[in-house]
Amino acid sequence: MLSDNDYRAVVEFIYREARLADEARYAEWLALWTDDAVYWVPATTDSGADPDKHISHIYDNRGRLETRIKMLQSGYRYSQEPASLMRRIVSNIEVAAADDELVAESNFALAELSIQAKHEMHWWVGRTTHRLRRVDGELRMCRKKVVLVNAAEPLPNLSFLI
Amino acid sequence: MSSLSSSVIDYKTLVQDDRIHASLYTDPRIFDDEMERIFRRGWVFIGHDSEVPGAGDFVTRRMGTEPVIMVRGADGVIAVLVNRCMHRGTMVCSADRGHARSLTCPYHGWTYDLSGTLLGVPYPGGYAGFDKGAHGLARAPRVSSYRGFVFASLSPTGAPLSEHLGTATKLIDRSCDLSPVGEVELTAGWVKHRCAANWKALPENDSDGYHLGFVHRALFSTVRTQYQRVVGDEKAIKAVVRDWGNGHMEIDWSPGYQGPFEWLGSASGLAVAEFTAALERRDGPEVTRRRIMEGPAHALIFPNLFLGETNIAIVEPLTVEECVHWHTPMFLKGVPAFNSRLLRMAEAGMGPASFLMPEDLTVAARNQLGLHARTAAWLELGRGLNRERIDSEGRTVSHVTDETTNRALWKHYRAVMTEA
Repeated sequence: MLSDNDYRAVVEFIYREARLADEARYAEWLALWTDDAVYWVPATTDSGADPDKHISHIYDNRGRLETRIKMLQSGYRYSQEPASLMRRIVSNIEVAAADDELVAESNFALAELSIQAKHEMHWWVGRTTHRLRRVDGELRMCRKKVVLVNAAEPLPNLSFLI
Repeated sequence: MSSLSSSVIDYKTLVQDDRIHASLYTDPRIFDDEMERIFRRGWVFIGHDSEVPGAGDFVTRRMGTEPVIMVRGADGVIAVLVNRCMHRGTMVCSADRGHARSLTCPYHGWTYDLSGTLLGVPYPGGYAGFDKGAHGLARAPRVSSYRGFVFASLSPTGAPLSEHLGTATKLIDRSCDLSPVGEVELTAGWVKHRCAANWKALPENDSDGYHLGFVHRALFSTVRTQYQRVVGDEKAIKAVVRDWGNGHMEIDWSPGYQGPFEWLGSASGLAVAEFTAALERRDGPEVTRRRIMEGPAHALIFPNLFLGETNIAIVEPLTVEECVHWHTPMFLKGVPAFNSRLLRMAEAGMGPASFLMPEDLTVAARNQLGLHARTAAWLELGRGLNRERIDSEGRTVSHVTDETTNRALWKHYRAVMTEA
């Protein structure tokens, strides 16, 4: 059974996570993850696709996630240097309790102003599943899956945090 | 015969041995010429056998800007059909891939079999003396494959595929022979990455060994990769670039490798040991040792196939200023556990969220913007002319940072664009 407190904590977590990603606050965003992190952006909208058989845009474990963040922090990740200007709207949040985890589904629409070459506005829209767990009393993400509506179409650079 | 602007565009002046003109990347008339001469008349990579394993399996692709369907017919033979109904021009098939017993146009229900033959039209009473035989889907008159890699040409005449590939078949062999059964499988799906640059920027960059330490500095400053051996003291770098003729060219990292599987991040473990054992059963220890030291090819097959080491990639032109880079992991048949590693490698290296290509495509887009300057209109192409050499098999070879690969592309391009 989901308590009101849990629901509010999950919603606040999702909003905070979105804001840290929007503002390229890489270290703080990384700190939201557990050690068994799985950050998954499939390259298909087929919900049955197996990430061990079908290619993904992102399928990071903790080690690869840290590499991703270090590159962004290096000052030489030219596809995000300077970082895109971004704001995302997160909505339609539904939360469920599952064993010792909280699972949230939500929709997002993200406006990204890409400024690394030609200045262009990109729209990113999709559905996110967060799996959250309490670690030392604080909510942390152990899994984030982002299914873009256009996951299988030609995409521009996606080296920011989605 | 479509009209060409070759009469007004002087490719011999625009493409010189040591410099090329910026309009080659920005002039829409040149793009139209390329679609005709390179992507219609020439051999173009379409897809792989393993993508359409059974009769009725199809994928949709484009040959240049021509929409096509690669489909396996009831007889098991692969056809490349033009994806356009012969009635009113509607695209017959809009899915990326699928399975069909016949192909029906959604507009008026004209139905074709898997080889493109028109089976029937609804309400045939409206036609007097209708010749179904003359209204089949147009198809690529020439389709040919090498080790499962399917190529097509929209011209009924011209040099056969074997002549176009020449000795570059050895590059395809180098990759396919890593499979213990000699076959690769492209079954993991494709990632498509949009690039705001002329399509030629992709084969040029994919075969450029000069940019790594600069464009990919974020990765090299973060983790160790196999490409580290081409960054640093110029004289200590052993990797080479090589011109295979007909616009095919490669970067060969292997002279710089000091141990097996450097091309796989010096991977080890059970899957790698089993893979090596499977190769040894077929090839014996000596040949296997060479294969796991050298790794797969890093090579461009003109004009649109990139053997990207453990990936296969396709270059798809969209307009003069835009193209798409497709990639999929090159799975090796017979070693499924090993393929999981190749899948994770593919995600690290290529695609919009990977650790390499976003930088490449950012620089390509900046290149495209810079090329609109006309005060300076030429691009340098002469790096390495002072030191390249001809090897025992007649191929031009040079230091990995040299523009031997770019020259290989442009030399062939000039020949194709000025052919009678």
